[in-house]
Amino acid sequence: MADAADLLPGLPDDIAIWEILIRLPPKPLLRCRAVSPAWRRATSSRDFLLSHHARQPALHLLESHSDDDDGDAPLSLKIVTFDHRAAAAGGRLQPVARLKMPPSDAHPSATPRMYLAASRDGLLLLLYHFHSESFDLCICNPATRQYAPLHQLKGFIPMGMYPHPSSTGGDYRLLLCLPAEDAAFVFTLGSAHPPRHIGCLPDPLLLEDADGLLFQGSIYWYTDVAILVFDTTNESFRRIRAPVGAPPASHDARVFIMGDMLALFGPNDQGTAIDTWVMPNRQEEVWDFKCRVKLPVAETRQQCRCSEHEQVVMVVPGDDGGLLILISCDPWLFQVDTDGNLIASFHPRGITATHSVLKKTLVQHTFFPTLEGYVVNAPPFI
Amino acid sequence: MATREAGKKMIMLKSPDGMEFEVEEAVAMESQTIRKMIEDDCADTAILIPNINSKILSRVIEYCNKHVPTTGATGAAASDTVAPAALAEDLKIWDAEFIKVNRATRFNLIQAASYLNIKGLLDLTSQTTIDTISDNSLEEIRSFLSTKNDYLPEEEQTIRRENQWAFQ
Repeated sequence: MADAADLLPGLPDDIAIWEILIRLPPKPLLRCRAVSPAWRRATSSRDFLLSHHARQPALHLLESHSDDDDGDAPLSLKIVTFDHRAAAAGGRLQPVARLKMPPSDAHPSATPRMYLAASRDGLLLLLYHFHSESFDLCICNPATRQYAPLHQLKGFIPMGMYPHPSSTGGDYRLLLCLPAEDAAFVFTLGSAHPPRHIGCLPDPLLLEDADGLLFQGSIYWYTDVAILVFDTTNESFRRIRAPVGAPPASHDARVFIMGDMLALFGPNDQGTAIDTWVMPNRQEEVWDFKCRVKLPVAETRQQCRCSEHEQVVMVVPGDDGGLLILISCDPWLFQVDTDGNLIASFHPRGITATHSVLKKTLVQHTFFPTLEGYVVNAPPFI
Repeated sequence: MATREAGKKMIMLKSPDGMEFEVEEAVAMESQTIRKMIEDDCADTAILIPNINSKILSRVIEYCNKHVPTTGATGAAASDTVAPAALAEDLKIWDAEFIKVNRATRFNLIQAASYLNIKGLLDLTSQTTIDTISDNSLEEIRSFLSTKNDYLPEEEQTIRRENQWAFQ
C-alpha cells in the first residue's frame, strides 16, 4: 500500500487522531481533509465526528439583521457566537454564518426576514416569512454549510427540536404547533409523512419565543403560570410548579441548565439583580434558591443610557459549572461574572441576544440529502 | 511503602530503561492512570511505566511537580502568600518554557501524557501541533509532516470544492 506512513510522523495514528486531530476547530478540520487521502479518511468517520462534536464548546448565540457594511443585504440574518473563553475581548464575538433568502417566484420583489427558531446539536432551525401571514421553516448546519427548506411545514410554528429519544441513528424531531387549532404535532426531519397530531396545547405559550429547553429527554418552557414540560418519549405535556417568588416569564425569567440540574433565573423588579433557583432532584420537583447576582447597573446604564425595560439578561452555563451572564441592551452587550463584576463591554451594533447555544457539528445527518431543495455552500448562505 | 516526611506518601515509578523515580503520591496522582492504579490498590510496589523512557518520564514528573495543587498539607505556604491570578500567570510562563523542546520530544510527551492521562500536559503538548495545522497552508502542513501530496490534482480540487468555505 502506498500510504503506510503515520498521519503525523512520529506519533501512533490513534494518538494523532484521538488526541490531535480531534482537537482541531471545525474549519481547520474540514480544511485538513485536503492534506492527504489518509487525513481525509481519519477525519471523516462518524465516530470521529461525533466525538469531535461532543468536545465543541456550547457557545451563546446572537443574531443580527443589521444593514452591515455593504448595505445591499439589509435583510440578511447574521449568526454570531459569543465565546467567553477567547482571551481578547475582541475575539469573543465570532460570526458563524450569514443567510439571505433569495426572492421566490411567488414573491419576486420580497426578501423575507429570517429568524432563529431553535438550535440543537449544531443544527439551526430558522423561520422566515414573505408577505403572507404564514411562516416557512428551514434547517441548516452553519459548520458544514448545509441547508434545506422544510416546505411541508408551512404554517406550523416550531416549539422545539430534539434527537429522536430511542434512535441512535441521528434522527431529529420537531415539536410544532398550530395555535389557531390549539394543536401540537411531531415531525421527523427527512420523513415523507406530514406532521403527526399528538394532542392539544396545554398552555397558550408565548409563541414569539418558544424554543424550549431540552434537558434529559424533556423540553421545558417557563410560562407565566408554571413550567410546561414535554416528555419526548411518550409525547405528552405536563406542568410543574415554578419556584416561589420567581418573577413571571414576561419579565425575562427563563429555565436553563446549571451543571446537571434544571435551573431558573429571573431579574428582580428593579432589574438590578438576577435570582437563580435549582431543582436538585427531578423526581421531588422541589426548587432551592441558589443565589442572587447583583448586576453592575450603575456602569452598564451609564454606558448605554437605558432603563431596565430595555435590557435583556441571559444566563448560560459557563465552564466548570459556573455561569455566564450577558446583558444585551442594543447597541451594547455586557459580560458579567457571577460576582456581578463587569468583565467586558461590546458595541456589536444591531446584534440581539438569543437564549440559545450552538455546539458546532461536522456530523453528516442523513436527513439532509432527502430534503427537497437541499444545498451545500450555496444561497441562502452568503 | 516509602515515606520521606511525615504525612507525605511516596510512590516509586520505574521507566522501561531501568530508572526509578521516587515521587510524592499526590504528584503521581496528577496522572489519572496512576491515580486509578493507586485507588484500585494495584500500586503496592514500584509502578512500571511502559513505553516511556527515563528522559521523558523525568520531564513528565517535572510537569506534575509544578502542577500539583498547592492547597492543603503539601504547599500551604505557596497558596497562602501568592494570589491565584499571579500563580496562574506564573504557571503559564513556566509552561511556555517547558514546551520549548524539539518535535520528537514533544511527540514523546504527547504519547506519555496520553498514556498517563494527564489532561493539562496533553493540552499543552498538543496545542503547538494544533496551531501548526490550524494556521498554515496545506503546502506548509505537508512540509511540516514531510509527506508529499498524494491526491490526484482533480481529487484535491474536489475536496477543496466540497469544503470551499473552509479555505476562505
